[in-house]
Amino acid sequence: MKKWLITALSLVMLSALAAGCGGNSDNSGTPAAKNSGTDAGSKTEKTELTFWGDWGGEGQKQFETMVDAFNKSQDKIHVKYVLQQDMITKFLTAATNGGAPDVLFWDRWRTSLYAPKNVLHPVDEYLTRDGISKDDFYSESLTELSYNDKLYGLPLTVDARALFYNKKLLAEAGLQPPTTWDELETAAAKMTKWKGNKLEVAGFSMADLGLFNMYLQQAGGTMLTEDGKTNFNNDKGKQVLEFWDRLMNKDKVYKVGFELGLGEGQDAFVTGKVAMLYSGPWMLSTYNKYGKDLDYGVVPPPAGPNGDKGSVMGGFGLVIPEGSKHHDEAWEFIKWWTANKDNALLWAKTSLNLPGFKPSMEDPFFQNDPLWKPFLETLEFAKVRPSHPGYSVMETDALAPNLQLNQQNKLSIEDTLKKSQEQGDKMLKDNEVVK
Amino acid sequence: MMKGGSYMASMRKVERHQARTAYLFITPTVLLFAVFTVIPVVMALYLSFTNYDVLSRNDWIGLDNYRRLIDDDLLWKTFRNVFLYSVIFVPLNILISLLLGLLLSRAWRGVKLFRTFYYLPTLTSAVAAATVWIWLLHPEFGLVNGLLSYVGITGPAWLSETRTAMLSIVMLTLWQSVGSNMIIYLAGLQGVPDYLYESARLDGAGKLDCFRFITWPQLRPTTFLVSTMAIIGALQLFDQAFVLTQGGPANVTKTPVYLIYQQGFNQLQMGYASAQAFVLAMAILVFSLINMRISKAEEPVV
Repeated sequence: MKKWLITALSLVMLSALAAGCGGNSDNSGTPAAKNSGTDAGSKTEKTELTFWGDWGGEGQKQFETMVDAFNKSQDKIHVKYVLQQDMITKFLTAATNGGAPDVLFWDRWRTSLYAPKNVLHPVDEYLTRDGISKDDFYSESLTELSYNDKLYGLPLTVDARALFYNKKLLAEAGLQPPTTWDELETAAAKMTKWKGNKLEVAGFSMADLGLFNMYLQQAGGTMLTEDGKTNFNNDKGKQVLEFWDRLMNKDKVYKVGFELGLGEGQDAFVTGKVAMLYSGPWMLSTYNKYGKDLDYGVVPPPAGPNGDKGSVMGGFGLVIPEGSKHHDEAWEFIKWWTANKDNALLWAKTSLNLPGFKPSMEDPFFQNDPLWKPFLETLEFAKVRPSHPGYSVMETDALAPNLQLNQQNKLSIEDTLKKSQEQGDKMLKDNEVVK
Repeated sequence: MMKGGSYMASMRKVERHQARTAYLFITPTVLLFAVFTVIPVVMALYLSFTNYDVLSRNDWIGLDNYRRLIDDDLLWKTFRNVFLYSVIFVPLNILISLLLGLLLSRAWRGVKLFRTFYYLPTLTSAVAAATVWIWLLHPEFGLVNGLLSYVGITGPAWLSETRTAMLSIVMLTLWQSVGSNMIIYLAGLQGVPDYLYESARLDGAGKLDCFRFITWPQLRPTTFLVSTMAIIGALQLFDQAFVLTQGGPANVTKTPVYLIYQQGFNQLQMGYASAQAFVLAMAILVFSLINMRISKAEEPVV
C-alpha cells in the first residue's frame, strides 16, 4: 500500500518536473521561431504545441515524420512530439495541475471514462466552422469519441479483426477460406494435428476469449442493452459458447495455453503451429517480414448461423485536453493530420495503419492490396465497444473469468452466462458515470 | 557549590548541543519519512472517505466506500488468492531457505560458488525472470513439461489452467526469494555460539537434538524476520502474477494490489481504491501480529 502511495506521490513530483522541462523547451524553441519571423519581415511568434503519445521506437519515428511535415507546411504553429511511457497516469496529474499537453494521442475507448470529467475539449464547433463532414469518417469511430452528443476528437486510425489463415495448410486440407461458422469449424478440425497427447498444429486459435463480443455480433447479439445492462445471457450468448464448446471439446482444435509466451520470432502463426487466427491490421507488418516463409491470406470474419457479420472496431484518435492553452492551434494540427486526404494517406503509408479518414482509403495502396482489402470490407460492418465507463471492467473481470472456467470445462454454459450476467451487471453499476 | 553549579550548567549545555546535533543528523531521514510515508498514508486515509477521481471530484462521502467493500466479491476473491498463496509460499520459503542455509554454512570446497548460485535469482528483475519462466512453463515446448514427458507424464498448461496457475507463481517466487532469505539464515547461523553445541555434544546430544534444542530456538529472531517479510511480500504479490498470468485464468491469480491499481488508475476511483488499500494494510497488520504470536518473537532467546 505504501509503495502505491509513494508511486502516486512521486508521479505528482515527476509531472511537476516534466512541466518544468516543458517550459524550458518552449524557451529553447523561441530563437528558431524568431529567425523565421525575421525572414517574413514581421515579428510573428510561432505557437509552440506539445503533442503527447505513448508510442516509442518505430512509432515515435512515424509520429515525428508527421509532426515535421506539419511544421514545414505552415509557419504559425510548431509542434513537438513528447514520448510519455505512462501517458495516461501523467495526463491524470497534468490535467488538474496545469502542464497539460495541447494534443493527446488517445485510445478511443477511454472517452466514455474521461469526457464526463470535463478534461477533454469538444470539437463540434470547429467541425461546423471548417465544414468538415462527419460522413468522411466511420460513424462508429466517431461514436467512440463522443459523449452526450458532443464530439471530443477525430479518429487517427481504425482497426478491426479479421481471419488470418495459413495458405499452405489450407491448401493441404483442400479447402477454401471459411465464410461461415460451419466452414470455420470444418477447416479448423481438418488442419489440426495431434501427436498422442501433444498438440502439434492448432487448427484455430482460441486463446483470446476477449473476442466474445465479436462472436456475439456474429450470432446476432449485442453486449449491452440500451440502458446499460449485460445482454448476453440468452440464446445468442448460448450459441457462441456452444460453438466454442464444439471447437474445444469435440473437434479439439486448440489446447489451453498453447500460444502463451510465444512472442515475435516464435509466433505460433509464423511457425505454422496455428493455422488460423483472428487478428488485426497491426500484425501485417510483422507477418510480412517473414516473406516467403509465411504464405498467408486474410478474409473478413465468417458469418454466424443466421448470416450475421461482426467484428469489433478499435483504434486511436487525437484529442485536445481542456487544460491546453492553445485549443485553436491544436485543432489546426489535428485537422491537418486526420481530415486531409493526402496527409492521412501519408500517415497510413508511414505507419501501416488504416487511417480514420475514409477518402484516403480509396487510394490504390489499400484498394489493390489483397491483405488490406478484407479489412476495408470488415470495417463496413464492424462495431465499436459499448461506450459505458464500466464496460472494460465488466469484460475483463466478470465475463472473461467465467469464460475461462467454461473453456476448461469447470462451469456449464448456462452457469457461465448466468454468473457473467450477475457479476457483470454489478460491475457496470459500480463503475457507471456519477452525475 | 559554585563549582558544582557551573559543572551542571556546562553539562546541560553539552547535552543540549548533543541533542541539537542528533536532531540535525536525523532530520533528513525524518523529513523523507514524513514526506514519502506519513503524509501519503494520512492522505490516503482521508481519500478513502471521499469519491476522489483525480480530475473532477473530491467530496466527503463518509463510509460509502467501506460499505461498498463488503459486497465486493472480486476483492475478497483476491484476498482468498493471496491467502492461499501465503499458506503455501511462507512455510516452503522458510523451510527451503533454512535448509540451504544449513547446507551452506559449513566451510567446504566450493561453498562460496553455491552460495552465489542460490543468490543469483534474487538479483534478476522480477519481470525478466517471469518472462523466462513463461517459456519454461509452456505446455508443449517448455523445458518443464519436456522433462516431465521423459518420465511419461503429460504436464499441464501450467499458467493457463486454474488448478496449476497459482502453483506456478509459488514456484517462481520461491526460486526468486529463497536466495536472500538463505543469506539471512546464514548470518543467523553464524551468530549461534559454538559453546552451546560443544556442551550439548559433551552431554551426548545427537545432530537432530542439536538442531531442535539449539539451532532452531537460537534462530527464532531470524525466523521471525524471514516469515514476517515473506507474509508482507506474499500479501502484496503483484509483479510476478501480473507478468505470468495477468490475474487469470478465471481470476485465480488476481491479487489485491493488482485490483487496487486497476480501480485507482484505470477506473479513476481513487477514493474507493484507497479504501481497498486500507483493508489490505489492516490484513497485513493482523497477519504480522499473528505471526509474532506464533514465533514468540518477543520472548528472549536463551
